[in-house]
Order: sequence, then structure tokens, then C-alpha cells
Amino acid sequence: MKVPPGVSSGDFAEAIRQFEDAVGKEWVFTSDEDVALYRDAYSPFWGEEDELVASAAVAPDSVEQVQKVVKIANAYKIPIYTVSTGKNLGYGGSAPTYSGSVVLDLKRMNRILEVDEKNAYALVEPGVSYFDLYRYIQEKGLKLWIDVPDPGWGSPTGNSLDRGGGYLMPQFRNHFDAHCGMEVVLANGEVMRTGMGAMPGAKTWQQYKSGFGPWIDGIFSQSNFGVVTKMGFWLMPEPDSYLSGTVMAPRHDDLSPLVEIMTNLENTRVTSGMPFLGSPLLARGLLAGGGPPPDPELTAILAKPDAVSSPELQQYAERKGTSYWSCTLSFYGPAKANAANWEFAKEKFSAIPGAKFMDGESYKLPLTPEQREQVHKPQFGIPSLAMFSIGARSETNPTPTNGHVWFSPIIPRTGEAIFEANRVFSAAAREMGLPVSTFSLPTCYWERSFIFLFGFPITHDIETNKKNRASFQRLVKIAAEHGWGEYRTAPAHQGAVMDTYSFNNHALLRFHETLKDAVDPNGILSAGRYGIWPKHLREAKS
Amino acid sequence: MRSRREFLQIGVAALALPISARAAMASEPFAAAGGPTPVPLYKVIFDERFAASRAFGSEAKRLGLPVHAIKGDITDLWFNDLYARWKQSPAAIAGLTAHGAIFCLERLAWDQRMRVVFRADHTNGSGGSIEHALSGPDGMLREAADLSSSGQDWSARIARLVARCPVERPQASKATIVTPMVNPAHRDSEPLISWVIAPVNRT
Repeated sequence: MKVPPGVSSGDFAEAIRQFEDAVGKEWVFTSDEDVALYRDAYSPFWGEEDELVASAAVAPDSVEQVQKVVKIANAYKIPIYTVSTGKNLGYGGSAPTYSGSVVLDLKRMNRILEVDEKNAYALVEPGVSYFDLYRYIQEKGLKLWIDVPDPGWGSPTGNSLDRGGGYLMPQFRNHFDAHCGMEVVLANGEVMRTGMGAMPGAKTWQQYKSGFGPWIDGIFSQSNFGVVTKMGFWLMPEPDSYLSGTVMAPRHDDLSPLVEIMTNLENTRVTSGMPFLGSPLLARGLLAGGGPPPDPELTAILAKPDAVSSPELQQYAERKGTSYWSCTLSFYGPAKANAANWEFAKEKFSAIPGAKFMDGESYKLPLTPEQREQVHKPQFGIPSLAMFSIGARSETNPTPTNGHVWFSPIIPRTGEAIFEANRVFSAAAREMGLPVSTFSLPTCYWERSFIFLFGFPITHDIETNKKNRASFQRLVKIAAEHGWGEYRTAPAHQGAVMDTYSFNNHALLRFHETLKDAVDPNGILSAGRYGIWPKHLREAKS
Repeated sequence: MRSRREFLQIGVAALALPISARAAMASEPFAAAGGPTPVPLYKVIFDERFAASRAFGSEAKRLGLPVHAIKGDITDLWFNDLYARWKQSPAAIAGLTAHGAIFCLERLAWDQRMRVVFRADHTNGSGGSIEHALSGPDGMLREAADLSSSGQDWSARIARLVARCPVERPQASKATIVTPMVNPAHRDSEPLISWVIAPVNRT
């Protein structure tokens, strides 16, 4: 049995015995075979001495058991690392940031405590998965949708605490923003409720977010200040209808006005679903899968450096009548309102000379079983694992096998920023000998900003992984030099990313550390998560 | 219970076996009368996008096993079938699928105290061959040695093999076997994996 660093084998054995008393012997895992299940399947350290691994795992069933585990961990200074369902592949999975920690696995805390249809909210435990909540809502026949990430086997609590996102209306697809109230077990074992939940007998815990006084919910996301044991979420009332439509813009320089109009339509709530940017021209040249073979002339043009901004490509697009860019909008609401909003959007996009429009899917909701099989399910609040049958395939990684970590910087919501980010990241990739994609378009998970998502392949070759880790961290720095920060990252890179949030001599990190030392003086909770280390480990590192 | 380290050591030893030794082992009957009891399979899953997987599914059906077709995505199988079945108790499943399906099913099965107990990665080799990298119970690996002479029938043989995955699995090994010259119509573009997920033996 592996022992956490800095803990004697005697103390660890006694702590394990007490964990067993607290949660039941069968829910404490110490065998190599069981503990291996907590490895990060997409670990960038796969097979290396430095791979982040657990020493054991403990799976409590209730808040009271979590309190007991935390108190035992405090008594013996055992580092514990909390996961809900541990499915955030690409961002670390279940493996601890501080190798040798005991995983506090909350999967057994899977109770759906309340779903209120009229006020459209849910209160759940951390082990509830999106599938569990979806099933509950379907079985009860409730007219509610959940906003799910893709894939959807994780938990609303875990995904929102990691600040993940989905596809529905903006107020739901930012999963942390959509939460309302939480219960937290603090490092000393005390239970605290946030927002209105701080008032005994409160009637509006899941209806009013901030309560009274400082609104502290944010400090429990991407952090290690407590163990969240309940979390409320606002759900989306099932809309009457769904409509999508695509605008296509003919010229290279149309990207900026396309983005500007799209963003305005989103900010004014004319469009309600997540917009998607695309390029029919690049797709025609690069992605032949399922479609006609690429035109060799186009493929040859795209193979040249900076092809996307070349006059040659513009001339090709004009000659062939192929649009440079596309933007697909979606609308949730009454059918008449959706149609009117799409007409309004078309009017706005008509400011782009030569813009063309194409009506997309139109459904009266709920979907029929046949329709369900045709749609991208997360856009209809339906959890899915279909992504795994596609994999993280890309132009530069056509046959992914061992997963990926996401390099995911946030950039401004402008066309100019898209071009600049492509220039910067392509140049960096060339310099580092990484595969260079022809052009990348960002996604619109978050309001007001774009997110670039690049899957950095994981291999089972140690030297390749070492090189990729170095390249990843170099890209983090390059992004920061241009004012672009990562929104989330795997434990292997959390320190490097936190290091870029360095305004005024790392004032923010120093504040995190002050909080950490105050609320968790023994540093037992998820040490190192998101770059926040407890005092004794900071001192050891320095 | 065998530790992961022991499992790997056995695997290395098995890989070191000469081909002649493997062939000799293959002549031993695997599931003769009085042999190991096969684990009852709740479902056998095949991916109808792939010729080899379809052949696997057909053979499983011929053997009287309950088969389930997917097209890559296991969401429907999980949500509408396995979820409820596994809520009752662990139930073994087997399949010949692409990586994504077994990756998901393995992790979903972990929460039901089940594990992948047999796995074979089938990849296209040179000269039209298919290489099978197997890990699992010794008896299954001995029987699998005849894959070297299976030709395009290899995936049907895999179906027969997984159907006889034993309940008791005291020894686990690894081995690599090559099926030479498979008809291109039976070589799929994507690497396929055959597998058995079964309740954990706790001894």
C-alpha cells in the first residue's frame, strides 16, 4: 500500500482503520487493483515515476460520513482529494494533484434531493450524474431540461465546480453560473450552507443566489477550501420549439462583422442557444469524411503558409461560390417567436454584402424518438456518450487513442482576435515542432468571450509526453503574453497556469493562499488543486 | 487476489513464450467436460459499422447469446438497458467494438464492481495480417492460439472464445498472436477490441 508523502505508515494504517469505521470497510480502497481505477486515463505522465496517483480511496455515503473522514484526515494530516464522479477526462480525471493523496470519492452520495418543476431548480448531491438527473426528470414527466456537457457522464456538481459548460441558453450553459446555493463541509468538519441556505428553514435556498453578506460560493470552485456536499441548480423550462439557421459570409474579411453581429444577437437574447462558427471553405478543403473528396486545387492552396488569409484562397472562394465563414444560430422558445427572431437575425446579418441564409432544424418539442436519434443530443438537454465514438479526432490528430489534455485559452469575442490567436498559436506550434492546423475557430460556450480548444494528444510514450508537456506549458506562457488565459486545466499544468495570473506580484494567488491557510491550516483538502498549495507544502517546495 | 504487479509479471512471462510452446498449449482443451464454468453473459455487443464485428455478433447469436448492436455510441445501451440491469446486480457483458465503446463501458462497470477480465486488441498488421494482443485468463489465451490459423473467421472465433470466459479466473496472462493474410473485406479501418467485463473475483 502506497503511503501519502509526509505521513508515517503507522499513522496511515490507523487513519485507514478509522476511515473504515466511518464509512464501512468495503468503501475504503487500498489494493493496487482498486486504487488503479483512480488513475487519470488521460494522464500526461502515463507510466512515469511522476504520474499523479492516489494512495487509497474512501467513498462516504452521507454528509456525516464526509465530516468524519475530514476529521480523521485532520487528526493524522492525511491529504485527501475530492472527486464527485471523477469523469473530467482531459482535465485530470480522478487523479489527485498531490500524488499520494487519498481520493475522497463522493460517487455514493447520489441522491436527488429536490426537483421543483414550477420554479425550475434541482438540489443534488455530488455523486448524482447528468444521466441520473435526466432519468429522474424523464421518469417524473417534468417539463425541465438540464444543461449537459459533452460527454454527459459527469456530475452537475463536479462539472460546475470545475466551471464546465454546455449548450443551452447562456444562463444555463455556464454551469457554475447556473448554480444556486451549496452545502460545504469545511476542513474542520463543520457544515456550512451558502446563500439563503445560511438561514435555518430558508424557503428560497435554490431561488435566490447570494443571500446576505459576502457571496462566497465562487471560492469553492476550482479550489480546495471545502468539500461541497449539496448544490442547487437552475434548470431550463422545456421550450415549446427549437429552430436553427445558418448565415454564410463570402469573404475573408467578413469574419469580424459576422462575430460582431452574432455577439450582439446573443447579448440581446435574440438568439438563445450556443452559436457555432464554421468555415464551409475550409471544410471543403480538409474534411472529406462522408462528403465529396476535397478539391485538389483547394487542398494545395490550404497547404501553403497563412493560406486562410491569402488572396489566392479568396479568389478560389469567389470563383467556386463557396462561403468563407458560417455562423449557426439556434433558438429555443415559441415557434412564432423563434421564426421572428431568425428573421430579425437575417436582417442584421444582411449588413454583410453577399450573405446567404439557410434554414436549419425545426422541431416542435419534445422531440420524437426518431428526431432524438438525429440531433446533437446535448443541444436538447440530453446527456450522451456519443463523443467517445468519435474521439478527439482532428485534422492534426486523426486517430486519437490515449486521450488528450485540453489547451483551452479564453480570447476576446472578436474576429480580429481569432486571426491573431491563429497567427500566434500556429507560429508557436511551428517553432515547437507541433502539428499545425490550417485554421482553428473558437467555440462560444461562454457569453462575451471565445474559448479556443486544442486537444493535446496523450501517448504512452514517455519522451513524447515529456515534450508535449513542455510544449503545453510554453503555449500557456505565450497565450498569457498576449493576454489570453486558460479557463481550466489538468493538474499537471495547474501550477503553470496559475503562475500566469500574476498581476501585482501574484496578489490573487497570495490571497488564495491566505484563505487556504486560514480555513485549512493542516492543508488536508485537495492540496495543489488549481495551483493552491497549503503552507507546509509551499515551504517544502521553496 | 492477484495484484496488478503480479499480473504484469505473468504477462511478461507469457509474451516470452516461443510460438511452438503456444501452439502446444493450444492443443489442450479449454472447456472440455468438467472444465471451467463460463461466466453467463447478459449481453454480447457488436458494432454494426465493422465487418469483423458483425461476424462476431452473428456467431454470438448462433451460439444462442443475447446480442446487442451498436453504431459506435453506447449511450442507448447504457441508459435504456445496462443501467437498470446493473442496478439489480453485476451482470457480465462481452463485445467486439471500437475503443470508445469499451472505454465507456469499462468505466461504467467499475462502479458496479466489475472489471475487464479479458481484452484483445486487434490491429491491422503488415501483409494483410491482423495482430491480436490478448490479456486474460490463461485458459482463454491457450484456446486463442488457434487464431493464427483462423483467416477471415477470426472474429467468429473470438465470439466463441468470449462465450467461454470462465467464472473463476485464477491465472491471467498476456500473449500476442498473428492471423496472417486476412481478406481485405474483413479488415476494418479502425482497430477493434474484444473484451469481457465480469464481476470481480474476490478471493
